[in-house]
Amino acid sequence: MKTVKIGLIGLGEIGRAHFYNCFRMKNVRLVAVADTSKKSRLLAKAKGVRKVFDHYEKLFEDPAIDCVIISLPTFLHAECAIRAMEHGKHVFVEKPLARNVKEGKEIVEKAQKTGVKTMVGYPMLFSRFATAKEEIDEGLLGDVVYANAVNVGSGPFSQRSSGSFIPSPVPSWWFKPELAGGGALIDLGSHLINLLRWYFGDEIASVKSVLGHRFNMPTEDSALCFLKFKRGVLATINVGWYSLQKIVKIELFGTAKVISMDSSTKRGSSQFIQLLGVPTAESLSFYNELNHFIRCVANDKLPFPSAEEGLKDLEIVSLAYRNEIKL
Amino acid sequence: MSLVSLVRTDAPSNFKISIEKAIELINFRFDPNIRKIVIKPNMCYYWDYSTGETTDPKFVGGLIDFLRDNTSSDVGISIVESDASAMKCAYAFKILGYEKLAKEKEVALINLSNDENERTKVKVRDSYYTFQVPQTLRNADMLINVPKIKYMVNLKLTCALKNMYGCNPYPQKFRYHHHLDEVIVGLNKVMESSICLVDGVVVRGSCTKKLGLLMASKDPVATDSVAARLLGLEPRKIDYLVLAEKEGLGEINYKSVGENIQYFEQRFPREKPVDKIKSLFVRGLSALGKIH
Repeated sequence: MKTVKIGLIGLGEIGRAHFYNCFRMKNVRLVAVADTSKKSRLLAKAKGVRKVFDHYEKLFEDPAIDCVIISLPTFLHAECAIRAMEHGKHVFVEKPLARNVKEGKEIVEKAQKTGVKTMVGYPMLFSRFATAKEEIDEGLLGDVVYANAVNVGSGPFSQRSSGSFIPSPVPSWWFKPELAGGGALIDLGSHLINLLRWYFGDEIASVKSVLGHRFNMPTEDSALCFLKFKRGVLATINVGWYSLQKIVKIELFGTAKVISMDSSTKRGSSQFIQLLGVPTAESLSFYNELNHFIRCVANDKLPFPSAEEGLKDLEIVSLAYRNEIKL
Repeated sequence: MSLVSLVRTDAPSNFKISIEKAIELINFRFDPNIRKIVIKPNMCYYWDYSTGETTDPKFVGGLIDFLRDNTSSDVGISIVESDASAMKCAYAFKILGYEKLAKEKEVALINLSNDENERTKVKVRDSYYTFQVPQTLRNADMLINVPKIKYMVNLKLTCALKNMYGCNPYPQKFRYHHHLDEVIVGLNKVMESSICLVDGVVVRGSCTKKLGLLMASKDPVATDSVAARLLGLEPRKIDYLVLAEKEGLGEINYKSVGENIQYFEQRFPREKPVDKIKSLFVRGLSALGKIH
């Protein structure tokens, strides 16, 4: 496999997970990093990254870079991804693809025009939750009648809840719908919508939602969605930013078998596992998804989930916002 | 010896009556001439009151109702907090329900970081420390401290004395963490509270739990001493408590009145030794950047 040269844009919480994973991978060279934070740029230099920029535009000009990882606030995804594609770079962009369907479409159209490969960061597809896909496809569950998907935690407040000693302020864009595209629904719901669509190999026919505003902010801090797939599977999605304890849970109710998977994490426990030098399930899923993208770039294959998939998820999120039920 | 009252309380509808009872038990009398009252709840980060991390706005609401009944009709009440390294009042007031409360009860909501302030020098041990004292606090006739009871890795305990840390308008508060004991004591010397009313309705020890406790005292050191006992800590082994007593802020020895302290001691969700070790390791390594 040829060595893939990467430019990493954004060294926030998720960006750092990709950053460290780049050094763990064979056939990968992290050529450049771009971040507005001086502290992040110093970290990149300290780890031996030679080209470090304060703006992603400078990074795109480097012809040595094959692909970029975009791990920026949501409002910068479209602008950055489109500029990267104009420079012929393959793009791995964090979820959600963009803050709305219009921006998502612009990304997809640009990818089609330029012919670059795209992938949206949905680590659940590369985690232990992925094992259910095989069971569904092999018919072990019979027909799945109903699915319940949960992702409740601290959302943007998670850096503090994870027990970090140095306080981390929540960037204000998280609280502005025009910058974030929404709240807990677009942030966490997009993971679950994508996962269920992938599980069932089917599209969502209709969706309704109930949004919660416990925190009195313009963006919702919780959401319940009721979905119906084209082939009839019913599903509920339950997401929230309100809990100190993070839980991700999937329940699939089939005519032959019912399966339930969860990965609850108590405050600080994942750090404790890291401390012992063991990669956490979460960090492994980030590794696996990036590894998939790198292999696709190196072997000229199409990565999954692509920007087109991310756009379909955005369309469902957008429909859920429009079809809000007031209880 | 300072009096500390302990009262059982649960439903928000009882908060006002419970506050009245707790205050009566310590023989606290309101000066009829007071015109400006400042309330300082604990707004640590954006955690909801139901987690036990922050003061319940309904508890503060009960206090405001009590103050309206027991002070002059034209008394001005303000709820204060300041920006911190990770918390911005603009969001915290909204997220934690204080914006709604201030509107309902017609009280002022003040971010002390935006307040005018005056530099004030204070001696703690043998050194002088300079703090910015906000105008709102300088002009107040009465400061009511409404803290929570929590464990804190470096301090062991956070309650009344530590809550005043939030009256320091300087946002980059983590910079003070190198000499936290002196800073806490210094801030309490320049911004003295008249009474402490501890919201122990929901507490966060090893886990979140409904404790149903309301504690009142004029003495913040005695208040913290009781809090330490609830957490299973020896007050005389907590450095800033010993220093606060030495600097004349109050007494570690106290006399409790009202409910028996053992009732709450037995129910408080204490940290197990293994939790403490784990917490110290994680935070220490996090600070060193060993885990990310």
